[in-house]
Amino acid sequence: MEQASAPPAVELRQISKVFGSNRALDRVDLRIGQGEVVGLLGQNGSGKSTLVKVLAGVYDPEPGGRLFVGGEEIPLPLAPGQASEIGLSFVYQNLALAAGLSVLENLTLGQRIGGGARAWAPINWRREHRSAAAVLDRYQVGLDLDRQTGDLAPVDQARLAIVRAAEDLRRYRARSGSEHSVLVLDEPTVFLPEEEVDRLFDLIRTVVAEGAAVLFISHDLAAVRAITDRVVVLRDGRVVAEEATADIHEHELVDLIVGAQARLAESAAPEIAPVEDVRAVEETLAAMEAAGTGGAPEQGENVAVGHLTDERLHDLSFEIGPGEILGVAGLIGSGAEELPYLLFGARQAIGGTLRLGTETLDVAGLTPQRSVRERIALVPADRAVQGLSQGLTLWENIVMLVEDEHYQRGIFRRGELVELAREAIDRFLIRPPLPHAVASTFSGGNQQKALLAKWLIARPRLLLLHEPTQGVDVGARRDIYRFVKSAAALHRMAVLWVTTEFGELAEVCDRVIVLTQGRQTATLTGEDLNEEAISAAALRQTRPAGPGQQERDDS
Amino acid sequence: MSTPHGAAAPAEADHQEERAARVAQPPTGRRLGIQRYAILIVFAALVAAFGAAIPSTFLTIGNLSNILGGQAVLFILVMAVLLPTVMGDFVDLSLGSSLGISAMTLAVLNVQHHTNVVLACLAGIGAALVVGLVNVFFVVYFDNDPFIVTLGTMTIVQGIIYIISGDNSVGIVSTNLSNWIFTNNFLSIPLEFYYGLAIFLVVWYVLSFTPVGQKALVIGQSREVARLSGVRVNRQRSWAFILAAGIAGIAGIAYAGTNGTVDPTAGSSLILPAYAAVFLGVTAIKPGRINPLGALIAVYFLATGTAGLELLGTQAYIQQIFYGAALVAAITIPKATRDRFFKRKRSA
Repeated sequence: MEQASAPPAVELRQISKVFGSNRALDRVDLRIGQGEVVGLLGQNGSGKSTLVKVLAGVYDPEPGGRLFVGGEEIPLPLAPGQASEIGLSFVYQNLALAAGLSVLENLTLGQRIGGGARAWAPINWRREHRSAAAVLDRYQVGLDLDRQTGDLAPVDQARLAIVRAAEDLRRYRARSGSEHSVLVLDEPTVFLPEEEVDRLFDLIRTVVAEGAAVLFISHDLAAVRAITDRVVVLRDGRVVAEEATADIHEHELVDLIVGAQARLAESAAPEIAPVEDVRAVEETLAAMEAAGTGGAPEQGENVAVGHLTDERLHDLSFEIGPGEILGVAGLIGSGAEELPYLLFGARQAIGGTLRLGTETLDVAGLTPQRSVRERIALVPADRAVQGLSQGLTLWENIVMLVEDEHYQRGIFRRGELVELAREAIDRFLIRPPLPHAVASTFSGGNQQKALLAKWLIARPRLLLLHEPTQGVDVGARRDIYRFVKSAAALHRMAVLWVTTEFGELAEVCDRVIVLTQGRQTATLTGEDLNEEAISAAALRQTRPAGPGQQERDDS
Repeated sequence: MSTPHGAAAPAEADHQEERAARVAQPPTGRRLGIQRYAILIVFAALVAAFGAAIPSTFLTIGNLSNILGGQAVLFILVMAVLLPTVMGDFVDLSLGSSLGISAMTLAVLNVQHHTNVVLACLAGIGAALVVGLVNVFFVVYFDNDPFIVTLGTMTIVQGIIYIISGDNSVGIVSTNLSNWIFTNNFLSIPLEFYYGLAIFLVVWYVLSFTPVGQKALVIGQSREVARLSGVRVNRQRSWAFILAAGIAGIAGIAYAGTNGTVDPTAGSSLILPAYAAVFLGVTAIKPGRINPLGALIAVYFLATGTAGLELLGTQAYIQQIFYGAALVAAITIPKATRDRFFKRKRSA
């Protein structure tokens, strides 16, 4: 190919980035040739987003890294916003579109920002309209410029964001006279229905034909194989493979991403647990055991979900036994992240049933009030907005669900409630142990323990957890695993654990089901239940090729 | 030139969160303690200053009675304002006109149609409740911004007040009513003060000592947490709007009884001082929280200030400046204390 002789559009050499003791990027080299589409692959935490953020000027890399654009060295670190001045443009998963503005306004937004004398130049809307229409034509994207952007289909929003970024690059090339420019697409296909991804690919091909190179970051192996010329695989901050897409098989890619051999060696590393807390955890568990068994049903109850359907989930059915911790794995967009909210009634499902013991609930008609009455508990991922009331005190948060029981004959037994909270703080090792301190002052780990305490003291029959250890330090993470495990065992409570941290699922769950494209595609138990197997199952079947074609027609 | 999609990248929440809060210390009791009673200290200083300047007129039973009784209408309205505000619906502008329509309905029925005064009072409160129901319908049921909706209902109700009053003051209402509200007194203080106190005690009890009040607090602090904890958020918000309108209606009765004559603009001049008191009250007793006790103190702090200035012989506009300054202070002081708190958190 011709670009072999020309300088690459962008070249990164020896890029490292360290967070505390964690090496997020380790001497990464990355070349993107002109007119090339390069796929960047890797699991969560492999360093993909860190690399993108270094390119965007969000993170400063460690000294020693070098960046070349069109063969010319650009000193690192980049200032925020500098990326657009050297021919780099980014489209993130959230697209950065203003939903309330029109397509036209979103398209021209970038030119309005900046200030200076031009900020006062009058806008000729008719001319803007004409030139925007010409831009959409150039990329063969048919959109109504006057539509409100929020009303567009997800794929059209993604296309609009890509057109806008590509147009920035084209203007950059015209302005600077240079030939190189790179469009970085960070997980652009995640929320798109499979049949619409092709329309996105057509657009990407047009963008490349116009003269830009593309860095395509994705979990979606089928998409990566369809659109890229070359793939680069990151694992634990290092480049582990760099291959022409045509020369590599999907299962090889999965092995490279998951790193089966490398992982086995690493999991032998000692687990970190804060020394001072080990005894405290033991005592807590003993106390829970002593206090616990009282009101709990001896047998526990079977939980069964039947034919659960919503926009992303297709007719999903599974069971959770008494005392069982069922993990649900799935990449973003697989529908797994919807599950806890649907089963709690926090979001409306289209249909499905939830059987708790002998009782059967209609999931579509479920409300949070009903769920709380049925003693279903939801620990949401968004702790700050949905989990704990940040402005209230710790004790008020912890007793929120049981305070009605402490209001008798017109007397609110606040003292009892504070005492109850104090007990929970002790048991769940919340530090500092100050019931009257405001929730927002606690660390992520302690807030998460408080959130868990809030739901567990209400003795749930079904505990729904979504990313329960997000932003939680290692020590608290261990504590949370143990609290959930012992609560499940003691109260014979069913637990549904949804997270994209597959190592966590392998560690705490009795059984893991894997969702891809809203369908259950694998069940893992016993020997098969390890991080690599979960990752492989979640990755491999993302978009069925060949035989899966028929299935696509059915849906 | 930076493009919005070029530089905006999600912050590294995990790292920041861990770093910021690893050893975060909650505010100490002492710091809160000082803030909690700051307004009381200023209040005491104000009383001492007026007492020193004009002891013969300021430090009298008559003045105390004037302060406590003279502000009872405002005080009752403040309790009304408190209810939606606690639940995060920060503005119900229409409460002033709820007061107005209640007073005017009473006056028109009693004076022009010679309706029995008790029935007229009930009709007045009923009219106010209708305003509350309309607010619920548009704010809660249709999920509109309360500011915009109540701006609309306020204007509509004000228009209705002009229609039923013929744009005139209506009086004089039954002296029976005046007697039971204003003229009769207990311990030299007009009875209406005790009515206000009774309403305060009920509101205070419900908000501070019942699960309902606790839930209201959660709704106000974080509606999403409340919803996912099974609280019937919209039901409680609805009750807040309706009860607030009802209490504003009672304030309207008190207004009519106090003044004898009802002016068509009665409520509109009271609603802003009521909000001033509520927001000033946020700085007291339970800092950062809208609380009835803080509002009680704030009302009488403002009343004492204006009464003192009046006795000093200042013009009415000086008193207006005092009120306005207090309103600005009311919204700034909680912010200033909160920012200080955030700085502490960052440095921790």
